[in-house]
Amino acid sequence: MTSYGAPAANPREAAEWSTGRVVRSNLRAVVGRAYPRVIGLTREPSWIFFEILLPFLAVSAFVFVYRALEAPEEFVGFVVIGGAMTAFWLNVVWMMAAQFYWEKDQGNLELYFTAPMHLMSILAGMAIGGLVMTSSRALAVIGIGSLLYGVNYQVTDPFLLVAVFVLTMIPLYGMGMLFASLFLLWGREAFHLAQLLQEPIYFLGGVNFPLRALGPVAGLVLATLPLAVGLDAMRQIVFPGAAEGMLPVGAEMAILAVMGVVFLVAARLALRYLETLARREGRLTLRWQ
Amino acid sequence: MIERPLTVDGITLRDAWKSFRTAIGLGWAIESNWSDPFLFAIYTLAKPLAAAMILVVMFNVITGGQGNEFLQFLIVGSALWNVVFGVMGGLVQSILEDRERYRMMKYVVVTPSSLFPFLLGRSLARILISFIAVFLTLGVGVVLLGVELRPNVLYLVPALILGVVAVMALGIFMAGWCLQLRQEAWSYPEAIAGALYLISGAIFPIDILPSFLHPVAYAFPTTWWLEASRRGLLGHGSPGAIGGLPDGIVMLLLVVTTAITVPLALAAFAWFMKRARQAGLLDMTTGS
Repeated sequence: MTSYGAPAANPREAAEWSTGRVVRSNLRAVVGRAYPRVIGLTREPSWIFFEILLPFLAVSAFVFVYRALEAPEEFVGFVVIGGAMTAFWLNVVWMMAAQFYWEKDQGNLELYFTAPMHLMSILAGMAIGGLVMTSSRALAVIGIGSLLYGVNYQVTDPFLLVAVFVLTMIPLYGMGMLFASLFLLWGREAFHLAQLLQEPIYFLGGVNFPLRALGPVAGLVLATLPLAVGLDAMRQIVFPGAAEGMLPVGAEMAILAVMGVVFLVAARLALRYLETLARREGRLTLRWQ
Repeated sequence: MIERPLTVDGITLRDAWKSFRTAIGLGWAIESNWSDPFLFAIYTLAKPLAAAMILVVMFNVITGGQGNEFLQFLIVGSALWNVVFGVMGGLVQSILEDRERYRMMKYVVVTPSSLFPFLLGRSLARILISFIAVFLTLGVGVVLLGVELRPNVLYLVPALILGVVAVMALGIFMAGWCLQLRQEAWSYPEAIAGALYLISGAIFPIDILPSFLHPVAYAFPTTWWLEASRRGLLGHGSPGAIGGLPDGIVMLLLVVTTAITVPLALAAFAWFMKRARQAGLLDMTTGS
């Protein structure tokens, strides 16, 4: 087994890495892939403008609809929280799910396959970087939305709120990792798929209204869509009197925890299949396919 | 020795038509043929319907289904807005895809044809798809949600034509503008269409907006197009102040704002193209 700096006696020995070296290499891959997303926050300020402006425009439109309908003010808060969570969903769709497809177009994918690291490390790096990047956007949407529209939050248990948020992010980005493999397999339809995962998911996820309003469909949504479950739980914590959730917060946290495991395992399996396909057919390195 | 003609003819109407026709085929192939038909159909249907259903559920949650007039206002506005997203997104996406992704724009520019008919043809597929979304959303509104259409064809047809021309002019302006950008050009149509969505009275009456935004709303043809189309489709105007205007005034304002927007947009596009040639932006790839 070799470590950094010590020349190997032969190729076989060079290929045998210690567990520590494997872990370090993968951690470096995570940091390396997260780096451009985090540092991009400061290098390209125009991104921040769009990252904040786009969800803010959507939030404002729905706030004005509620105002036109003379809805109770809590609904404005529902929309603002929904808008902030939409930022994470958009990040998952465009910068996780569709990312491998773009990477293939730019010629980076084959480098990922040939580098001595696990593809899950790349996905984890993308997720961590995306999470940091999108958190700034979500916070801005909440801050500006709350100031402009006068939303009153009644958070009695901030730790519970943080716990729900973290539990929501794990399956959400796990789903993104799973979709990254699937989008790559589905090829040219990546753009259509990403578009398809916007408005229909906003509708099913109850982004702009309480999930309960969907009736029986909401049960199915609770079992499949982490965005909807997390949003429902967070609204119960942030607007305790006004938001009537589908299930108690504890039950929704348990669902999120199970979803986290399921999506991460599914993502791992999908990646393994993808890697096999890449080696067998070689078509995953063809651009624009 | 090769004989060269003394003069080189400019683009003829025939060249432009040929370019336009070829670009339509190309645009449609990229939009539909390269996709799985089932997925393409779902994509075409689900997105606009979901966008409209969000508003319907919001309306029902608050009103309990009472007040059909506002629901009709929401459905028609939501349906028609697909055209704005389709046209603006289509034109910008086409020009950026051809420059950044397929890297074909420089070849189109050096042909005897002009980029303009090519761009229009290339984006026509998305525009057609957006009209499918309009009909579908209206259809669902009529069949499932009790929207009562009372079309006044003589008013609706000119309103639609003028509106689409105005929106295409805005899209052409955006396409030229996005050629100048280094980063984030892909986000501009969404941002501008989102801003127009907010101020044009698409899903809520303009009166709800802060008063300083009212003059901005009245200056855009999209506001008058939506209002005229609502009158042409539903037989009545929007709730609020704008709904109290006579039909003739609304149409006149649509004509005036369109007549101002179109030449301005075309002049801007010509200037943007000139600048793109001078600055070498036609074959630039930003990696965005």
